[in-house]
Amino acid sequence: MNEVIVSMNHISKSFPGVKALDDVHFELRSGEVMALLGENGAGKSTLMKILSGVYTRDDGTMEIFGKEYGDLTPKQGQEAGVAIIHQELNMCRHLSVAENMFLGRELAGKFTLDNRKMRQEAKRILDDLKIDIDPDQTVGDLPVSKQQMVEIAKALSINAKILIMDEPTSALTAKEIEDLFRIIRKLKAEGRGIVYISHRLEELAEIVDRVTIMRDGQYITNGNFADMTMDQIITNMVGREIKEKFPRVSCEKGKKVFEVKHLNAGKMVRDINFSLYEGEIVGFAGLMGAGRTETTRAIFGADPKDSGEIWLDGQEIKINCPMDAIKHGVVLAPEDRKKDGLCTKLSIRQNLALPNLDMICNGLGVISSAKEDKLCEEAVQNLRIKTPNVEIDSGNLSGGNQQKVVVGKWLARNSRVVIFDEPTRGIDVGAKVEIYNLMNELKKQGIAVMFVSSEMPEVMGIADRIIVMCDGRITGEVMAQDTTQNEILTMATSFENKKKVG
Amino acid sequence: MNNKQQSPVKKLLAIRGMGAALTAFVGLVIIYIAFGLINSAVFSGQNILNLLRSMSKYLLIGIAQSYVLITGNIDLSIGSLVGMSAMISATLMTTGMNPLLAILISLLCCLVIGVVNGYLVGKFKLPPFIATLGTMFVARGIAYMVNGNRNTDAIATGIGKEAADKFQNFFYYGKTLGVYNTFWIAMIVFIIFFFVLSKTRTGRHIYAIGSNVDAAKLSGVDVVATTIKTYLISATCSCLVGLILCAQAGMGNMEAGNMYEMYGVAAGVIGGVSPLGGTGILLGTLAGAAVWQTLENGLNMIGAQVGIQRVVIGVIVVVAVLLDVVVRNGKFGKRK
Repeated sequence: MNEVIVSMNHISKSFPGVKALDDVHFELRSGEVMALLGENGAGKSTLMKILSGVYTRDDGTMEIFGKEYGDLTPKQGQEAGVAIIHQELNMCRHLSVAENMFLGRELAGKFTLDNRKMRQEAKRILDDLKIDIDPDQTVGDLPVSKQQMVEIAKALSINAKILIMDEPTSALTAKEIEDLFRIIRKLKAEGRGIVYISHRLEELAEIVDRVTIMRDGQYITNGNFADMTMDQIITNMVGREIKEKFPRVSCEKGKKVFEVKHLNAGKMVRDINFSLYEGEIVGFAGLMGAGRTETTRAIFGADPKDSGEIWLDGQEIKINCPMDAIKHGVVLAPEDRKKDGLCTKLSIRQNLALPNLDMICNGLGVISSAKEDKLCEEAVQNLRIKTPNVEIDSGNLSGGNQQKVVVGKWLARNSRVVIFDEPTRGIDVGAKVEIYNLMNELKKQGIAVMFVSSEMPEVMGIADRIIVMCDGRITGEVMAQDTTQNEILTMATSFENKKKVG
Repeated sequence: MNNKQQSPVKKLLAIRGMGAALTAFVGLVIIYIAFGLINSAVFSGQNILNLLRSMSKYLLIGIAQSYVLITGNIDLSIGSLVGMSAMISATLMTTGMNPLLAILISLLCCLVIGVVNGYLVGKFKLPPFIATLGTMFVARGIAYMVNGNRNTDAIATGIGKEAADKFQNFFYYGKTLGVYNTFWIAMIVFIIFFFVLSKTRTGRHIYAIGSNVDAAKLSGVDVVATTIKTYLISATCSCLVGLILCAQAGMGNMEAGNMYEMYGVAAGVIGGVSPLGGTGILLGTLAGAAVWQTLENGLNMIGAQVGIQRVVIGVIVVVAVLLDVVVRNGKFGKRK
């Protein structure tokens, strides 16, 4: 063990207009977990796509198991034993677990597919990993965590020796992460090399052996995880010291702005009551699937409500669709930016302008490009969106910058209530702090901020008051300064009846 | 942000979808010159006039389909609406009804189908392929039924020769400033809808829906209303083409506009309108319609049979899109 299995040297790669990688080095040994760290847009994913053959490099050398590869195709990559578990899971949702695992290399009998054998083989691998999944289940019906396990099982079924995991924990609950780590440790013990990409630095200590840090497409450093402090890692990633991970501003708590009374919407939103005040950020904590996203969507009018009242500045308002909400100054930056937040095929300009067209149109609905330019320029400046110009497809931006566009859409308006649903998911430390600062800015302006997040340290660091949800109900409310993670977790897991945690 | 003054050419090229549209125009010029070199009659003044006139029908159909395609939907009922509009207006005129009234009634009927399309797709979330397949059959059926399953007599028999001439000249045979009226009608429609798509709120909403309907909805876009609008625009353009065909023939033909919905797709797609939604501009559709008509016209002029014409046109559509994919994605779409 501990022999070098991947060695990449002087790797460079350009895309039209961008140098994505510049003279990067990377080394992976068998039986280790190598964390590949860097901000969004640092080039981690590009480097890994070169390793797996999705992209071809412009320059540099690459050895896998001592064999030099020129232009690697994805198929060769697979044969060399490289497998990627993607950030966005790549599964055929309508096919079964076994069908997905053997996709593209189905086992065949004489005339037909040998389904029995594929099922058995799938079952064997899943059992081996101690994962409780039926090979016949449809993948689309499985929760994300289980789908991810299936991807790992698929990688093992092709006997991958090098597993690349891109943000594997970003959509998992604490319990599921434990399961994943158990599997990673097992794979490590079997002598496989694992590349682990994550923005959740606090979880690295659990599994990581070594670290490679990248910044702006360049290799910065590598070393044993044990020899580095968290501050060193962050400084290397960001290129500057981040003084405060969770900047906090204190404001006078003002009058009540927003109140939700007895809101019900489907199974996951049951009798929700809460109020938001000027000058405070209210965090919504809870496990994945606690009904927080559903609550935000119901308030915003994206999903129908069964019953309940919504009050704004002392008056009841009716919100039946997002248009109503926006008209009243209640806005939502949704959880899944690719699915709900952005029109990825449209430019940054078009995205920023979309909800604000009423402000930049004349009576006939004709858009004033001068007003639109001004709106975009302000948003780009205020949010520090890193882009050469606003005509670029928003889909080409890095995650952090995409999130800034999603948020930026709403800041041009005079809103009363801004709802952030997981605004920092999958974005880097630097961008996170910028989003926090932005929420603080809103708080100072007397705008009510509702902040949904599954990351406990963040909720405790940024919110003033924390409302905890579990299973579609509010199970507790605490002030951030006098609570503990344990207290919140207890409330977040206080399921009704006999249901167990996780 | 830097406020550098960009050169007008650069600014033009920066418009999304302009690249594909300009490529189509370049293709148009090449095709036109190539045919002209084989048969110089292609360059003749009368042929150019004919070309502009027949292109206009495809342009209108292309606009109709492009609006729907950009939202990521499709309208299969276009051809049937053309037939329906031709038959209803012709039948009414053969009874002696005032042409203006006949036109209005026929437009109204088309709009009804358009609203049905819009509701089925926008409100009830039916796959547009299915919803408009249904209305395609219904509208064609109505086209058959209005005059008892046969083509109409000449409209002159009802409204008299003078009125019939006026109607036919207005839509087809008459000229203004030396060019056939059909062309001017199409141009006016083109300019209006080009403006609507590129400069107005409705246009922006259309792109947003085609790019990501969920995000559009959460940004406060009224998806149902916008979808209905696109189908209404489609129905209006289809109705207009029906009237043009009616004027051309001087009567109603039950099969008028057969397959036009697909010609609309072709015109759009050649000009860079993506059937997946979110991209494309009407300038591209204009180029696409012109390419299409120039091909048909040129092949005719050099004496190609109908069979070979179809083959060539089919190949061009595929090649145009293939080229676009290759150019955009590098070699064969391997890289994103």
